[in-house]
Amino acid sequence: MNTRSNIIWGIIAFAFIVFLLSPIVLLVIFSFTSRSLTNFPIEGLSLRWWQEMVATRQFWPALANSLIIGVCVAVVSAVVGTLAAMGLAAMPKRRASIIMGLLTLPVMLPPLVLGVALLSFYVSIDLKLGLTTVILSHVLFAQPFVILIVHARMISFDPRVVESARDLGATPLQAFFTVTLPIIQPVVIGAALVAAALSIDDFIITFFTIGTGNTLPTLVWGMIRTGLTPAVNAIGTLILLLTIGSTIIALQLTRYRG
Amino acid sequence: MTALLKLRGISKRYGDAVAVQPLDLDIFAHDFVAILGPSGCGKTTLLRMIGGFVAPTSGTVEIDGRDVTRIGPEQRPTNTVFQGYGLFPHMTVRQNVGYGLRLQKKPKAEIADRVAEALRQSRLTEFADRSVTALSGGQQQRVALARALILRPKVLLLDEPLAALDLKLRHAMQDELRRLHQEFGGTFVFVTHDQGEALSLANRIAVMNAGRIEQEGDAETIYTAPATRFVATFIGEANLLPGERKAGQVKLEAGPSFADAGADEPVTTVVRPKAVRLLRAEEKADIEISGSLTEVVYLGDHIKCVVAVSDKQDVVVHLDVAVAPRPVVGEHVRLGWSIQQQRVVSA
Repeated sequence: MNTRSNIIWGIIAFAFIVFLLSPIVLLVIFSFTSRSLTNFPIEGLSLRWWQEMVATRQFWPALANSLIIGVCVAVVSAVVGTLAAMGLAAMPKRRASIIMGLLTLPVMLPPLVLGVALLSFYVSIDLKLGLTTVILSHVLFAQPFVILIVHARMISFDPRVVESARDLGATPLQAFFTVTLPIIQPVVIGAALVAAALSIDDFIITFFTIGTGNTLPTLVWGMIRTGLTPAVNAIGTLILLLTIGSTIIALQLTRYRG
Repeated sequence: MTALLKLRGISKRYGDAVAVQPLDLDIFAHDFVAILGPSGCGKTTLLRMIGGFVAPTSGTVEIDGRDVTRIGPEQRPTNTVFQGYGLFPHMTVRQNVGYGLRLQKKPKAEIADRVAEALRQSRLTEFADRSVTALSGGQQQRVALARALILRPKVLLLDEPLAALDLKLRHAMQDELRRLHQEFGGTFVFVTHDQGEALSLANRIAVMNAGRIEQEGDAETIYTAPATRFVATFIGEANLLPGERKAGQVKLEAGPSFADAGADEPVTTVVRPKAVRLLRAEEKADIEISGSLTEVVYLGDHIKCVVAVSDKQDVVVHLDVAVAPRPVVGEHVRLGWSIQQQRVVSA
């Protein structure tokens, strides 16, 4: 009885997992097809579409933009988010949770609304659209994640460690750089990588705020408008590698330890 | 002789809650001072005001003639061993101990020498390159002490230094602290809720209750001549006999009366169980009281007897185990003690 229902639930769970993962798996497989259509049967494996991708004129600027934006977003949101998280951790709980709610508001807004709002905001203050506006916009929605992750670490941070440093002669700044930062560093780096991953795979907000120019996701969107070639799958796989890679590293670094 | 550490009118309020009432305290060089009190009495707040971690609401802190009230912990000639130690988890034992000297930008060779010496003195040499998180509680305690003492503070502050250790280790660390205090020759101030720890370590004790210092003095005075009812009950066991003082005469509710100078007021007479004797027939004592024996318990090093001297008053007596004949429950007994061995305090 029990084992039978276990088997049934196992099959259901397996079906769900297959449904969730198969598009991603297909994307990766089709990026290595030797045919020019993204369907089965695959006659042979080749790097033809990867070569195609590399040869596409807009690919390199888009990759560069994606990386520049990702790195800037990671750095800015890590610095600002860590400072915010430390400030919040030092506050009384009630006040901290109110401010936290306010700061995480951008995450709860539909990206489409956020994108349109940001676009009209930049236009109204006469800020030229480009990488800067994309970075600002990405920081807006990536930073709350950094705050949440770092704040969770700061809550369990032993304040006596910092007091010890002060007691032994460190100024507040010295105490931060010699004690606080080295201890929370893995979590901060992890949070920065999460921010980078969010930034690299964002399409909607980038689309509204970049003006001319492309990132990898907007490039893919432009390419599928003219026809779906397996080169799109190659770019998709590349984005997948970048975001999953940084997320895995982030999970490793932010994992709770003893 | 002027005090090394002078607290004047120091107090701390958190909103409406008063943690420390305005108080004065003098601590002299080479003293080993215990600030003793129940949890929540303000003793840790007081220590943190000395160390510079809590800004006092009023009053001043003076160390070695310098007013340090407004300066941060990094500029005070004090070092602290925190409860839980606050060791740096990302550093080895050696790096923890050398932290303060590195901040002072001492030459590398000097740091290495002094750290090695400190590690040797604290018997930590074999653990020098281990992470502090891999150490036992007692070893962590020694690292915290070494890390603070290497900077040769004028005053070493210790917040419940032994609270986290098990009983056996606690006794070993008490010896260690006493030895360090002698070798180092500094001034130690520690906070504790454990009266036994205060008596065994400190040469001076300040007893705190509800934000006030109730009494400050050497260990023996605190024990034998408690100034208040609270001090009497907090340190050691005590019999408290309520009574009334009128015209220089104290009349105890339980019967006896005796002469005692002082204002007319309700008073409590404090007498230690050890000071009370079981009187033989015809034997006389300054204060005599009688009752029936309700409990006799053999406790190894002494026999505890409880005597009901009235409906609502018991007197506890500690007898020598060699007493013969051993008293039995239900027996009617006469108790007595000398007037020098009791203390009369305000009720």
